[in-house]
Amino acid sequence: MERVATRFEKKSFWARREDSYIDYSLIFVILFLLAFGLIMLYSTSSYDANLTMGDPAYYFKHQLIPTALGLVAMIFMSYFPYRILEKLTVPIYLLAVALFFLLIPFGRTVNGAKRWVIIAGVSIQPAEVAKVAAIIFTATMIIKLQKNLMTIKGYLVALLFPTILAFMVYKMTRNLSSAVIIFGITFIMLFVATPGYKRYILAALGGIAFIAVIIAVIANSEDSSGMNYRFRRVLAWLDPNAYASDESFQTLQALYAIGSGGIFGKGLGESMQKMKLPEAQNDMIFSIICEELGLFGAIAVMLMFLLLIWRLMVIANNAPDMYGALLVIGVMGHIAIQVILNIAVVTNTIPNTGITLPFISYGGSAVIIQLAEIGIALNVARNIGRY
Amino acid sequence: MGMKKKLLVLFILVLMAFVGLGVRLILITKNNGEEYEKQVLSQQEYDSTTLPFRRGEILDANGTILAYSEKVYNVILDAKLLLRNEKYLEPTIKALVTNFDLDASAIRTYLSEHPTSQYYILAKKLSYNQISAFQEMITPGSETYNEDIQGVWFESGYIRKYPNGSLACDIIGFTSSDNNGMYGLEEYYNDTLSGTTGREYGYLDDDSKLERTTIPATDGDSIITTIDGNLQNIVEKYLAEFNETYKNNVRQGNGANNVGCIMMDVNSGEVLAMASYPFFDLNDPRDTSNLIGMPAVDENGNKIKGESVFDSGVYITEDMLSEFTDEQLYQNYNALWRNFCISDTYEPGSVAKPFTVATGLETGSITGNEVYNCKGSLEVGGWPIKCHNVYGDGSVSVERSIEISCNVALMYIGQAIGVNKFTKFQKDFGFGLKTNIDLAGEARTEGLTYSASNMGPTDLAVNTFGQGFNVDMIEMITGYCSLINGGYYYEPHVVKKIVSSSGATIKNIEPRVLRQTVSPSTSEKIIQYCEAVVMGDEGTGKTARPAGYRIIGKTGTAQTLPRGNRQYVVSFMGAAPANDPQIAIYVVVDRPNVAEQSTSTRLATTLVRNILTEALPYLNYPMTEELSEKEQEELELLREKLITTAPETEEVQEGLAPAEGAESEAESAEATEESTENTEEGEIVEDRSSIWETFDRDPETGYYVDPDTGAKIDPESRTVIEGDVLPDFENGDAAQTPESN
Repeated sequence: MERVATRFEKKSFWARREDSYIDYSLIFVILFLLAFGLIMLYSTSSYDANLTMGDPAYYFKHQLIPTALGLVAMIFMSYFPYRILEKLTVPIYLLAVALFFLLIPFGRTVNGAKRWVIIAGVSIQPAEVAKVAAIIFTATMIIKLQKNLMTIKGYLVALLFPTILAFMVYKMTRNLSSAVIIFGITFIMLFVATPGYKRYILAALGGIAFIAVIIAVIANSEDSSGMNYRFRRVLAWLDPNAYASDESFQTLQALYAIGSGGIFGKGLGESMQKMKLPEAQNDMIFSIICEELGLFGAIAVMLMFLLLIWRLMVIANNAPDMYGALLVIGVMGHIAIQVILNIAVVTNTIPNTGITLPFISYGGSAVIIQLAEIGIALNVARNIGRY
Repeated sequence: MGMKKKLLVLFILVLMAFVGLGVRLILITKNNGEEYEKQVLSQQEYDSTTLPFRRGEILDANGTILAYSEKVYNVILDAKLLLRNEKYLEPTIKALVTNFDLDASAIRTYLSEHPTSQYYILAKKLSYNQISAFQEMITPGSETYNEDIQGVWFESGYIRKYPNGSLACDIIGFTSSDNNGMYGLEEYYNDTLSGTTGREYGYLDDDSKLERTTIPATDGDSIITTIDGNLQNIVEKYLAEFNETYKNNVRQGNGANNVGCIMMDVNSGEVLAMASYPFFDLNDPRDTSNLIGMPAVDENGNKIKGESVFDSGVYITEDMLSEFTDEQLYQNYNALWRNFCISDTYEPGSVAKPFTVATGLETGSITGNEVYNCKGSLEVGGWPIKCHNVYGDGSVSVERSIEISCNVALMYIGQAIGVNKFTKFQKDFGFGLKTNIDLAGEARTEGLTYSASNMGPTDLAVNTFGQGFNVDMIEMITGYCSLINGGYYYEPHVVKKIVSSSGATIKNIEPRVLRQTVSPSTSEKIIQYCEAVVMGDEGTGKTARPAGYRIIGKTGTAQTLPRGNRQYVVSFMGAAPANDPQIAIYVVVDRPNVAEQSTSTRLATTLVRNILTEALPYLNYPMTEELSEKEQEELELLREKLITTAPETEEVQEGLAPAEGAESEAESAEATEESTENTEEGEIVEDRSSIWETFDRDPETGYYVDPDTGAKIDPESRTVIEGDVLPDFENGDAAQTPESN
């Protein structure tokens, strides 16, 4: 707590404002990523949008409104005292759970999976709400359990409720990747909140071994059409060319996009792969960035995300209290996981899952929730030096 | 502080992940960049497949298909795909050779020379039946599937087919290889017949599986024409027969430079048949054999002049064909493909006379009761302009002026009308204007007629009998229909309905009256006068009458430029039945291949007679006139050659009294005259004696011979052989021998 302020005298509203800490570099990074994201979204989607929707700006326009709403949510949350969230933990958690049950009557079925709740014309992705609920809930649990967290039982209790959310995401929306993200956020928060590395190293090794075994089993199993599509995706990941026309079509096309971009890319709007890559504006937008802006642009984007994560880490380190720090760590974990997994998929480092790139990929619910999370972090930052 | 440390550890882990991914990005670009870049470029074409549309059909009025598009397949070899594995090579080549009759060594040579080629057309335009066996072999799941056959796929497209070959070739037109219409309906209705190309592209579902999405091609609309395929067939049969009879007659070449025929519904402007010889096969429009016998044309499409002014042209022979450059060949193809009936202009000659008389009646300049005195010529503007009977027709009523086609009477009528009214009515009849028929290539005739300001008295005089201005066939027959249908000028059209590929009607094209040209009373008089041409004793068009019917009409024998070239455009324009004209017919024979063109009007009338003899029964018009025994015999003979099934002979005869009387026999003897020589001169009935009838007759040809000049006179057309009506105004040579018309 380098910047601990010691002045507690009552101050005028204006004076307090002067004193409160605003993380301009964080705000700059966010605004940059949003603007850059919209440009890339338009560049990527205009061809397909013109072909299928008759309006090249279709996706761009549909992303503009959630982005504006997200900015409002961010500003609101940056003024919303984060400690109140602690009191609202249970309602928020229940709201997230309730949204999943709303899927049953109000869900929109796309390709056999219900992922959106449509209420009064507004579509919401419950999985995105579950992510922020998991952050708030885990932070509260860690505060509540305190020393009990050191016991196995307490640790498992802390894991239990977010795991329920993750399980619901997986079961009710058939969305494994969001479930992994929710679990990952909780895991990261617990990792930072509890001392010691031994159990995490063990867990990591165990996890790696488990995944290795599963991959080995899948790789040696007979390929049959009745196979679980996740299994086939793993096979496609191991040998993309063998599945070039179906499972690994997207991955291969993304690789072609990255490879053909070179160091400085083909230039903004010059992508050819956006005509090949279906719905490139979703998961695969990073590959189009690589194609149009080259390695230079891709690494610049990664550096921006790194800067964002670094700023969040600084805020967490200077947070006025444990709860604020945990919230920011959750947000940081969320963003870090999504960025890493997204780029890993695009580069075929891991099998294909549907993970979007924060602030850049097309998706209304995601951008609103992510900006609200940044708002929470800004509120924590605002209180640096108080209390 | 443990938390801060762990946070730092977390950040370092994240940083390491980022670095790892960054390195991976760099490696992908560095190691595979070039390969992937090629991949991106190569798959562009591969994935954005365009789907061809089916061009709409062209049908005749009875629903017979005149043109349609058939799906065909090209066999494409992807050498790169095939050469991925050695084991694919032999089975694939074997399958190709057995299925498509290809040369195995040629394929091997191609593969060794172009191992990276991905698009090579092995065979073109195969039907589905031809490729189905091979298609099975490359379709997983079928019985004959062979997974070692690789790198061959089919590209589909459509080819245009014309099931009736050359039928209605000038009307239909054809398509170029890129599916664009050329000439006729194919060109005029190209946008209607063409659909929209479809596309096929890939997209991923939520499980990242590639789905193929197609925007299907929209097929073109079909057009239903007013053409009656059977009538068209009848017309073309007799045009071809005419050509057979007269080709290489006095010159090496076709029976005439052009022979055109239009049949039209008088009361709607619908074209029922339209043909011009020479024909060409729509499925093979570049068959050079059709060019042989045609007058050769130069780069502007004008006929190349012969050595002598008397030559009608330079006729294409096989020797000439072999020496043609591509350019010359193409020029002559264009001459073959163009539709004489709408694209070529000429001086109409006497078929224009009914128009002049109608103008006179309509403007009140004449009443129809006038009688003119024809002395054989009339001096107008200092030029003596002759009648075709230089010895004079004596007193000529308005009706008789049409019946015997007297130029002098018409010139008097023209003088009564005056330049202003005459030119105004010419425009009303559509001369000098496009008819806007829905066919590509209609001639622009603006400037080919006179206006009141530039028409002198001599111009007016020759215009009255159809010389000195140019028209095309469709203009004439469209105007003529308005003369005989009560004055309604219908816009001529060939298409009556446009339907979508699913058969729904998109547009009905209704007959459209553009203007009233003459009053019904004038129209009735014109019908009466024109009936005299065919039915009257002195009528010039008696040979046009089909046995058993009364028809109306007007003959024409027009001089061409330069005057004195002994070349004529002979024609007959008429309609049937006489009491209520329904079907108009116009036949034009441009420079017939006979020794004496000036008296060859009979060629046109005989063509009309032959066509109507077969067409009228087909159209269910009952016979109204008695048949002579000779006519019956001829009809029996004809029936055996008929294309269409005519009503039973018995039925026709039942309704008619048996033929009797010398008069009808004499008439039929003339009417059935088909040879160029009149051998039954003794039976010709002539009421009014003309000076030339006192002359001696040439026993060989039957012509009367003028003892003073030695000129021969054809008794049938009352025309002086090798005589020109018109003085050569341009050369001032007024002292030409007699005339024609």
